[in-house]
Amino acid sequence: MKRILIVDDSFYMRTMLKNMLTDAGYEIVGEAPNGQTALELAKETNPDLITLDVILPDNTGLDVLKGIKAEQPDMKIVIVSAVGQEVIVNEALEYGALSYIVKPFSEEKVLEVVKKALDE
Amino acid sequence: MKSREQEYKEIFIAEALEYFDALNRLISELEKRPQDDQVLAEIFRMLHNLKANAKAIGYLQISDVSHKLETAFGLIRNKELSFSDEVVGVLFDGIDLLGELIKSIDSERQVEVDPVLIRNLDIIVDSLSDSTVELAKVQKFSTSRNLTLSDLIYIQVKKLDHLMNLVGELIIDRDRILSLSRELDSDELKTVGSHLYRITEDLQYSVMDARLVSIGTLFNKFPRVVRDIATAEKKEIDLELSGQDIQIDRNILQIMTDSLLHLVRNAITHGIEKPEQRVRADKPKAGLLQLSARSDRESVVITLTDDGKGIDIGKVKNAAVAQQLVPADVAENLPDSEVYSFLFEPGFSLAKEVTEFSGRGVGLDVVKNAIDSIGGRIRIESEKGKGTSFILQLPTSIAVKGALLFEIDSIFYAIPLIHTDSVVALDKDELHEVGEVLVADIKGETVTVVYLDELLNVEESQMRLGDKTRLKGQVQNIIIVSYNNRKLGLIVDKLYRQQDIVVKPLSKPLDSIDLYGGVTLLGTGKVCLVLDVPAITRYFVNRR
Repeated sequence: MKRILIVDDSFYMRTMLKNMLTDAGYEIVGEAPNGQTALELAKETNPDLITLDVILPDNTGLDVLKGIKAEQPDMKIVIVSAVGQEVIVNEALEYGALSYIVKPFSEEKVLEVVKKALDE
Repeated sequence: MKSREQEYKEIFIAEALEYFDALNRLISELEKRPQDDQVLAEIFRMLHNLKANAKAIGYLQISDVSHKLETAFGLIRNKELSFSDEVVGVLFDGIDLLGELIKSIDSERQVEVDPVLIRNLDIIVDSLSDSTVELAKVQKFSTSRNLTLSDLIYIQVKKLDHLMNLVGELIIDRDRILSLSRELDSDELKTVGSHLYRITEDLQYSVMDARLVSIGTLFNKFPRVVRDIATAEKKEIDLELSGQDIQIDRNILQIMTDSLLHLVRNAITHGIEKPEQRVRADKPKAGLLQLSARSDRESVVITLTDDGKGIDIGKVKNAAVAQQLVPADVAENLPDSEVYSFLFEPGFSLAKEVTEFSGRGVGLDVVKNAIDSIGGRIRIESEKGKGTSFILQLPTSIAVKGALLFEIDSIFYAIPLIHTDSVVALDKDELHEVGEVLVADIKGETVTVVYLDELLNVEESQMRLGDKTRLKGQVQNIIIVSYNNRKLGLIVDKLYRQQDIVVKPLSKPLDSIDLYGGVTLLGTGKVCLVLDVPAITRYFVNRR
C-alpha cells in the first residue's frame, strides 16, 4: 500500500484529501498543518508521496519543498494550489515538484495526479 | 446517520468560524500596524483557505466574498491600495458579511447581501476609482454584536484516552469508598457513596459516549473498496450495508478496520464464485455481500455474509489432520463450529486452495488476534454451496469490562463476561478422568474441565489436572468459558458476582505470564487477577 503525507493548513482540505486517498486504497501516514510539522513528518515517516499546499502558516510551501528536497532528493511531491498561484506553482515545478492539483479539485483529478506521480 | 456530507459541512463551519474570529482579531491588529507583513500574510492565508474550502463544498457566496476580500488584501500587501479609514470600514463590513454567511449555513435564515457592500468591495478590488471617496456608507449588519462560539470542537483521541483512564482510576477509588462505608457502617458515608456511585457511572458513560463514532464512518468506505477488488477479480458483487448508525468506540473501530478489509477481500476473492460458475450453479450472476451491524446488549455485532461457495468442511478437516492440529479420529466427530475454528490457527491453510493470492484461512489468525486484543469474539457459519458468514462480537468500549468475580484459595479472580458462556454446578461423580484432564458432559457436549486451584497454585512437576482426588468437596462450581468455538470448564471455589471492572495491563516482568490478561483493584482494596481466557483455552487445546 502506497504511503502518503498530506500537508495543508486547512483541516477541511486535509479531511477531504484524506478521505479521497484512503477510499482509493492509499495509506495516510501523517497530516501536517504547517511547514515545521511537514519537515519533521517527511523525515520521520518517509512516505512514497507528499501532497503540499503552497500557502502555509509558518513558511511558504516553497521553503518546505526545498527543505524536503534537500534532505530527501527523491521524494515525490505534488503541489496543491488555488487559481491565481501559477507563479508559485511554476517555481515549485522547477524545484522538483512532480505535478500540481488546483483547488477546488475533483476526486478523479486528485487520484489521477497522485497515481501518475507514484508511477513515475 | 452522519453522512460524509454532514461531516464535511460540520468541519467546514467549525473551521470557517475559527477563521472568522481570527480575521476579526488580525484586522484589528492591522489597523494599528498597517505595515505588518506577517499579519497580512495570515489574513491572506485564511481568506484563501476560506475561498477554496467554500468553493469545494459549494457555498458560492462565501467563496465569492472571500475572493473579493483576498484580492483587496493582496492589493494592500502590494501597496497598491492604502489602508485608509474608508477601506478599513469596507473590509470590516466584508468580514462581518462572511461571518453572517457562515452562521447562516446551519440556520433557516437567508442572509440578504447588501448590494451596496458588494459594490464597495468591487470598487476597492477593481480599483474602479483612484479615490475611495465613492465608498457609500453601508448599514452595519448588527449594531449590537452578538458573540458566538462554535458548538463543535475537535479533540485528539489521546485526550479522550487520558480521560477514560482517569475515569477508570476514579471507579476503583469509588468502589473502595463504597466498601469502606459498609465496613464502617456509616450512614453518612453510605449516602455520599451512593451519590458518588451515580455520578461516576454517569461520568463513565459520558466519556464512553464521547468516544463513540458511527460504524458508517467505516462501512461507507466499502462500496468503493468492494468495487475495486471485484473489478480486479473479474467478479460481479452487490454490496448491501445496514446498521451504519450503530455506535462504537473509535479505537475499537480503528483496530477492526484492517480485519474487516481482510475479511471482505477474502469473501470476494475466495468466497464468491466467478459469474459463469454462479450461473451454472443456478445462482444470480452477481454475488451478494452483506455487511451489517447491530447492537446486542453491551456489544456490537458485525456480520459479513457472502452467498458464495461456502466452506468445504471435509477439506478443512483433512488440512487440520495433515497439519497435525488434531488426530484423524477426533476430527471425524468434531462439531462444525470447532472445525471452522482451525481456520484461525496461525499458518493454517487449505493447501489445495492456495492461489496466487492466498488460500482462504491465511491471515485469518491475524484477524483473530486483532479481535482478541480488544476482547471480542469471532465465529464462522457456513453452508457448502450457499455461502459463509463471519460474525464478530465486539465490545462497545475498551476500558471498562463486565466481569465475573470468583475466588480460589481465598484469592479473587475475574473473567471477562464476553468469554463466559454459563455457570454450572456439577457433582464430582459427573466429572470423568480422561488422560491428563477431566471432562464432563455439559448440555450434550463433552467439555474439558480444569481445576483452577491445581493449575494456578501447584508447581508444574506436581500438577495432576486429571486427578479427581485433588478436588475439594462434592459439588463443583464450574464456569464455562468459550474461545474460538472451543468450550472449557473452569472449576472455582466460590462464585461472587458480576461487576464492571477496569482492567490494567500487567507490567514487566509479570506481563510474560500467559495465564493472566491483566489486573484490577476491587472495592475492598484487594488485587484481583484477570484470567486470559484465550491463553488458557489455547493451552488446553494444545494439550488435547
